[in-house]
Amino acid sequence: MAGNRLYKSAAAAVLALALVPLVPGAVDHYAFFYLFLVFVHIVLAQSWNLVAGYTGQISLAQHAFFGVGGYTTVLIATALMDESGFYFNPLLLLASGLTAALFALAIGYPLLSKLAGDYFALGTLGFGEIIRIGLVKGGAATGGSAGVSMSSEPFETLLPHYLVGLLLAVAATVLVAVLMRSRIGLALMAIREDPVAAAASGVNVLRFKLLAFAIGGFLAGLAGSLYAFYVFSVSPGGFLNLSWTLYPILMCVMGGNGTVLGPVIGAFLMTAVFTAANIWLPGAHPIISGGLIIAVMLFMPEGILRLKAKRAGRQPAKSAAATPPGESSNMQRRQA
Amino acid sequence: MTAFDSATLGVLGELLVNGVLFGSMYGVAAIGLSLIFGTMGIIFLAQGAMIVLGGYAAYWAFRLLGLDPYLTLVVLMPVSLLVGAALYQMLFRRAAALSDRNTTLLIAVGLSFMLESAMSLMWTPDPRSITTTYTSSGFEIAGMRLSVTRTAGFLVAIVATFVVTLFLRRTMIGKAVRAVSEDMVASTLVGISPHRVNMVAFAVGIALAGVAGCTLAATYTIDPYFGFLLSLKALIALALGGLGNVGGALAGGILLGVIESGSSYFLPGWGDAMGYAAFLLVLLFRPQGLFVRAMKKV
Repeated sequence: MAGNRLYKSAAAAVLALALVPLVPGAVDHYAFFYLFLVFVHIVLAQSWNLVAGYTGQISLAQHAFFGVGGYTTVLIATALMDESGFYFNPLLLLASGLTAALFALAIGYPLLSKLAGDYFALGTLGFGEIIRIGLVKGGAATGGSAGVSMSSEPFETLLPHYLVGLLLAVAATVLVAVLMRSRIGLALMAIREDPVAAAASGVNVLRFKLLAFAIGGFLAGLAGSLYAFYVFSVSPGGFLNLSWTLYPILMCVMGGNGTVLGPVIGAFLMTAVFTAANIWLPGAHPIISGGLIIAVMLFMPEGILRLKAKRAGRQPAKSAAATPPGESSNMQRRQA
Repeated sequence: MTAFDSATLGVLGELLVNGVLFGSMYGVAAIGLSLIFGTMGIIFLAQGAMIVLGGYAAYWAFRLLGLDPYLTLVVLMPVSLLVGAALYQMLFRRAAALSDRNTTLLIAVGLSFMLESAMSLMWTPDPRSITTTYTSSGFEIAGMRLSVTRTAGFLVAIVATFVVTLFLRRTMIGKAVRAVSEDMVASTLVGISPHRVNMVAFAVGIALAGVAGCTLAATYTIDPYFGFLLSLKALIALALGGLGNVGGALAGGILLGVIESGSSYFLPGWGDAMGYAAFLLVLLFRPQGLFVRAMKKV
């Protein structure tokens, strides 16, 4: 098990991050922006971690919830709020998360009650694309493919973004940690391991899957809202981009899918690589990222923090022994 | 029948035929995906990027060597078979043995990113198309004008489907591919080497991407970032036809082509959305595919 030490050092790290803005000149440094991006990614990665890592439902629609959150923020801010009132309005953040959660419920109910495994993954992908096309074709309401902008008047520094981002990242991580120690988390993990056995033990499988999916949607919506406050505009290309699903998956898998701190570690590392590649090799950036994705998957597919609770020591997991996040037993392909 | 009616019918007929012809290209891509998914369970999202790569091969063969794209097809097939085998050995051999699906999905995504970016860097993001002497020519059948390249693409797709079906039904290794798709453990028990079968299935899948790329470049314009959309379309075609069903994948592609061409006429701009909607409906209500008679668990 991870032990208390890990959590103590995590708490110390959070404290250190909260004090970073006090360092002179820190707010204007590029690393400050990097950390903000890390926080956005942590919230998204935890959202995917909850749905896929813990509950075993591989979702390819987190970018859609991210986009819904961002659009909600900008649309409400431009339509209903005055010049200064919208900026980092907590109600606006909450509304964005809740709207995304509602979308998740609406999408999740038909999909989760009928589909599992790869079919569920493909279905979420389809719904995400439909939402994207809906936003592109939304006419004046959604601004079409150009999107909608909100006033960037209140922007002074990145400081509020940083602090809100840190708060949300910590809250998302703590939420996942607390959930997983509760009976809800137990039910979710039981569903991941064996949905039939979970149902036989009295777990309402559909309800818990929906709950996880909705909380995942809520977190992704919050991340989208936070990011919208940074770019001050939303567009289908920027927000409904599959990268917002794939990068969190990468971070989760790299750090350790289905662990509390794995996605955090993954977010720090992968964002560092993406940011560095973007600075030094702007044109070739996806080549580096793509190559790195492949290398990570080939050489450490179980992630850095794969906690093997069932085994005594922390020996590296054998490939076939890794916990399958997919759920049905016929997915297990153990080849000689 | 009034003149107006026959004109409307003509438009509908042309929409239908164009949808069928273009959809056959989705079908070829979907057959490749189906082989790769059936044996290894990989959702190979890089299929579209491989198709575009095949398209660029045809484009450069035409531009630099003056080779006709349909002639290139003959050369490209063995090359892409080799590329597919190499890709399997380098990237998927180890990961295909894992029960964790995220790994292979992410490797495919990484490959797709690299290919897109590399193609864009080497050949610029400008759209390209092959203009041969016959590109804009067509012929008339029953009052409908058919383009030569689209019809040729359709014929290539039919032949490719036929060849793959024969391969799966008649050859030993093809039968092994089907056996592994049915039940990996049982086929290993009767002495089938999964790695060999996986490699062959992967190679054939990539060869089909090459075929689709050649016909695509001969018919339409390609650009480095077109691939992802193609992957999605191929996935939809696959789901419409039923996973692990070669004829069904082609039929699914054709159906998707018809849906898109029809809805782009009646609801301009919503063509893609209609495709996804059909995809979701089929997933929800007939996940075994539209063209499978018996319920078959994948």
